[in-house]
Amino acid sequence: MLSALDKDLLKSVADLEDIPKGAYNIRKNGKLESRSVSAHINIESDEERDGIIVTIAPGTINESVHIPVILSESGLNDVVYNTFVVGAGSDVTIIAGCGIHCGGPEPEGHEGIHEFRVGKGAKVKYVEKHYAAGQGYGKRTLNPTTKVFLEENAHVEMELTQISGVDEANRINEAVLGAGSSLVIMERVMTEGDQKAVSRNEITLAGENSSANMVSRSVIKGNSRQNFYATMVARQKCFGHIECDAIIMDNGANETIPALRAEHPDAELSHEASIGKIAGDQLMKLMSLCLSYEEAVNMIIQGFLR
Amino acid sequence: MLELKGLSFSVVEKNENGEEKRRDIIDAMDFTFEAGKFYAITGPNGSGKTTLSRLIMGINQPTAGRIFFEGKDITGMTITERATAGISYSFQQPARFKGVTFRDLLSVAAKTEKEEKLLEIVRRVGICPLSFLDKPVDSTLSGGEIKKIELATTIARNPKLAIYDEPDTGIDLWTIMPMVNLLKKEQIEHKTTTIVVSHNRSFLDVADDILIVDHGKLRYHGNLKNALPMLNDFRICSFNPCPEGEQDAQCFR
Ligand SMILES: Nc1ncnc2c1ncn2[C@@H]1O[C@H](COP(=O)(O)OP(=O)(O)OP(=O)(O)O)[C@@H](O)[C@H]1O
Ligand SMILES: [Mg+2]
Repeated sequence: MLSALDKDLLKSVADLEDIPKGAYNIRKNGKLESRSVSAHINIESDEERDGIIVTIAPGTINESVHIPVILSESGLNDVVYNTFVVGAGSDVTIIAGCGIHCGGPEPEGHEGIHEFRVGKGAKVKYVEKHYAAGQGYGKRTLNPTTKVFLEENAHVEMELTQISGVDEANRINEAVLGAGSSLVIMERVMTEGDQKAVSRNEITLAGENSSANMVSRSVIKGNSRQNFYATMVARQKCFGHIECDAIIMDNGANETIPALRAEHPDAELSHEASIGKIAGDQLMKLMSLCLSYEEAVNMIIQGFLR
Repeated sequence: MLELKGLSFSVVEKNENGEEKRRDIIDAMDFTFEAGKFYAITGPNGSGKTTLSRLIMGINQPTAGRIFFEGKDITGMTITERATAGISYSFQQPARFKGVTFRDLLSVAAKTEKEEKLLEIVRRVGICPLSFLDKPVDSTLSGGEIKKIELATTIARNPKLAIYDEPDTGIDLWTIMPMVNLLKKEQIEHKTTTIVVSHNRSFLDVADDILIVDHGKLRYHGNLKNALPMLNDFRICSFNPCPEGEQDAQCFR
């Protein structure tokens, strides 16, 4: 049974009001809570390690899989390894997310490793949200890892969001792109208080005419700290771009290191990085439209993280 | 409706010899703008027009003098308070955001998210196509596009006093006259006291009053006809400043 609290977490991480339609797997406090499969999407428990294997049949169009994780037990550290095998030519949305509600003094955490094997010409949109809440002062940790392998002409779009309340996050994204495939990653992280978030990304453009675009948006409030590292390696004629922007408010700290490595003369790689306060001209424009200083800050941050 | 009393904005600058020197960007300006009139402010680059506009909006703080709006001293008011009182300013260089769309700005300006209201405003403004609504107001907009959006957000507020800082920069030939007519129409239909900072003759033509600013001082106030000799006089152009008091021919080569 899902409690009101669970439903609240589900809503925050998966935009779900209730049990989703289609295939889903809800994991609560380290155990399977409920599961449903569809004609084209199978979910089974991994025999070798804790986690699931989601298999999407070739040619599956316009279907979605929800795999939220909720933790509401203080003192739990949940480790899970999920594998997604996406059949050739399919077009699916995968919605993952982890919501932590920490009510007690013990630390709570989740380490999720998501591996994607995306078949030829398949299209995947992956949405992942992380959120923590609760009155307890136990430390909430989230260490997500994604490993993406794109076969020929596959297309993957990833939206990775850490909304609020996570004390420590160590994210790792790895991707290897086959010929003609493309990858778009949009990462948004907001930290506050004494939170820490580190994101490490390694994208290998292995196939000819592959392309990758990694966008990172960070908002760093209070005394929090965020570090962003991204490396793009080009092995073939390909296109890659890294864009990382950080807004620092209060006394936050940020380190951003984009790195490009070309091992082929026709590789086209570029990056843009910026770190700074909220721009004064944006604030003044919004205030001249009657917003207060605080409202203006909010609107700018919301847009930035959109 | 808007009264400037001894308004000054001074900065301390270092001259060639490294000595600190005060520079009056706006120099003890006195002027009263009357309600419902259309004013065009012109003057050479760097003469202080934008600074004056920003002082009125509250973006810059005066170093001396006071500003009264509808009889009330607003010198100490914040930007938000002045906006709420009915003052609106179209920036010479509009801010570019990330992830904020024209629709977002327009909704804030018009205080409504209703589609039909927003469309109504875009139609009223006329110079922005409806397709602009969901455009992000970011670095991808062209120079002319962002100026049109900036102008629309000012009109959407239905201000009592609208200040447009060079609204025509980057605007194509086919849009200039519609823009001039639009601001004139807004002045007449909504009784908006309008101040347009511009070097464009089309705006000077429709203005009730012309103001010429030079070196932070108001050099002229009156109609266009009497302003023409000054507008054609090279001496007012500050690219070749004359030493004070000197009327030597070589300094306006
Ligand atoms: N905060 C400031 N500190 C120092 N100098 C300033 C400041 N603000 C403006 N100035 C200077 O004051 C002068 C007037 O600037 P302003 O932008 O008001 O000119 P303007 O008349 O609007 O010119 P333009 O026609 O080019 O737009 C310029 O020389 C500018 O460099
Ligand atoms: Mg100016």
